[in-house]
Amino acid sequence: MSGAKVIVSKEPWNKPLPNIDQDNAPFWEGLRQHKFLVWRCRTCGASYWPKAHCRNHDNAPFLENMAWEEASGSGTLFAFNRHHTAFHPGFKSEIPYIYALIELDEGPLVSTTLVGDKQPKDVYDVGQKVEVVYEDHPAEGFTLPRFRIID
Amino acid sequence: MSKHPSSGRYAIIGLGVVAGPQPDHSERMVATEAARRAIEDAGLARKDIDGAIDLRRTGGAGDRANYTDAYSRLLGLRNGFYFTVGRGGALAGLGIATALSFLDRGIANYICLMGAVTDWSQAQQSRKHGHRGMVHAEKAGYWGKPLGDLRAVSHHSWMAARHMAVYGTTSRQLGAISVAQRAWACMNPEAKMYGRPITIEDHQNSPLVAEPYHLLDISLVSDGGIAFILTTADRAKDRPKSPVYVLGQGFDEVSAELWWEKKNFTHMAVRSAKKQAFGQAGLRLDEIDCAQLYDCFTGEVLFQLEDYGWCEKGEGGAFVASGAIGPGGSIPVNTGGGLLSCYHLGDLTGMAEAIRQLRGEAGERQVKDCNAVLTTGHGGELLSPGMCSIHTCTLLGRHP
Repeated sequence: MSGAKVIVSKEPWNKPLPNIDQDNAPFWEGLRQHKFLVWRCRTCGASYWPKAHCRNHDNAPFLENMAWEEASGSGTLFAFNRHHTAFHPGFKSEIPYIYALIELDEGPLVSTTLVGDKQPKDVYDVGQKVEVVYEDHPAEGFTLPRFRIID
Repeated sequence: MSKHPSSGRYAIIGLGVVAGPQPDHSERMVATEAARRAIEDAGLARKDIDGAIDLRRTGGAGDRANYTDAYSRLLGLRNGFYFTVGRGGALAGLGIATALSFLDRGIANYICLMGAVTDWSQAQQSRKHGHRGMVHAEKAGYWGKPLGDLRAVSHHSWMAARHMAVYGTTSRQLGAISVAQRAWACMNPEAKMYGRPITIEDHQNSPLVAEPYHLLDISLVSDGGIAFILTTADRAKDRPKSPVYVLGQGFDEVSAELWWEKKNFTHMAVRSAKKQAFGQAGLRLDEIDCAQLYDCFTGEVLFQLEDYGWCEKGEGGAFVASGAIGPGGSIPVNTGGGLLSCYHLGDLTGMAEAIRQLRGEAGERQVKDCNAVLTTGHGGELLSPGMCSIHTCTLLGRHP
């Protein structure tokens, strides 16, 4: 999506690697192209994340009536926690970090960390509008989706 | 109320517990010893056991069945079958349901069910490499790992956070659950936290791990094994210990409805499980003398108190703050200290405590006239973002 915020990381990656498999490879390729994809039903338009059968009706074999399509990349803050403990050594420089549930405008919940200057003040402080920030890791060849509060 | 024909037709006749750190013993030897103790407790010989089930967290999150030998072979049982059952913290409930199908058809007469872990010992080793908490973090393939979603608390804490945001629940109220269960643990010499009472201030002052969760909102990491022997009611009558009867069981899944409704961060999948179990047993909630609720974190206890109906949804915070679940409260919960203060052997922790309460073996913490106990299991998050758990409900009784 044009105008989306992008962070290019030059830090060596010392954390667990993303799991990219047959089912989510198009999603991860979308992130590399700075597009946030959701799995959408072409029969009724319902959106899913991660990939799943549409619940609203019967589906074509191997979900051929569904496809990854670009979403708005925006949503609202549903709930979050603030990690004060680095369970893995790679996160020692990150704590405290906010790990949040984002309710996409298209419906599904996704989870990721919040970045940016605007941070919720406590766990009761939810419902803010958020948008995706693409964090490129060119040396490793993947892009992570972070979110930031925009209102 | 009328009962289902299966209610009271099966009973637990033996219990074996290996508790506390086991740095000198392998997991398989802890497992074998727990099974040996259960058989002895039942007044049986090894040759009497004709079925063996290994309760493991394999499904969903948790460890794989990476054993190198089965406790049944190590113990020299003459069992006709051995296999693994379990998903996350739902072990005993699923194991009982499975075992009944063998007993019902006379395929087996005495089945040993056993679950063992050496999480504490393994965590001591992994600490040396800079890792914290449980060794078996979320598996490779879990969405959140690169984002810092590394342990159960990384996503279970959303449940407390969301409940707080929606219903105004406070951290101090969650702390009341920790305090109540610690009070129970202080009456249980087997509990890890025996002799170490806490206050709400202790809870509030304990380190924040994944806010809103403090250290004292989080269950223990433990070593140990628990085994029990299940048989038919007619065979249970002439054993040395009082039989503990299986009165009813029920199961429900977050993935059925709650996940799609986004209520899985404020509710647990109790509705169908409760209806099935209480329907079979012909019991009402107010006939339950104590509850052993799966308590990997304080939030899960709060949700279940609401979801079963001891209080209204959203009022769990005030309910626990009133002292309702501690010693002297209206519904004693996790009377051995639970996963928070006794030890973490999945739902086997609550199962063992239920058996002791129904046998009248709970010592200082014995619930008076304890006739019916509710035990639950929970776990095995299957989707990203997580919290797509199973819920199991098992009602046990002193009378068939």
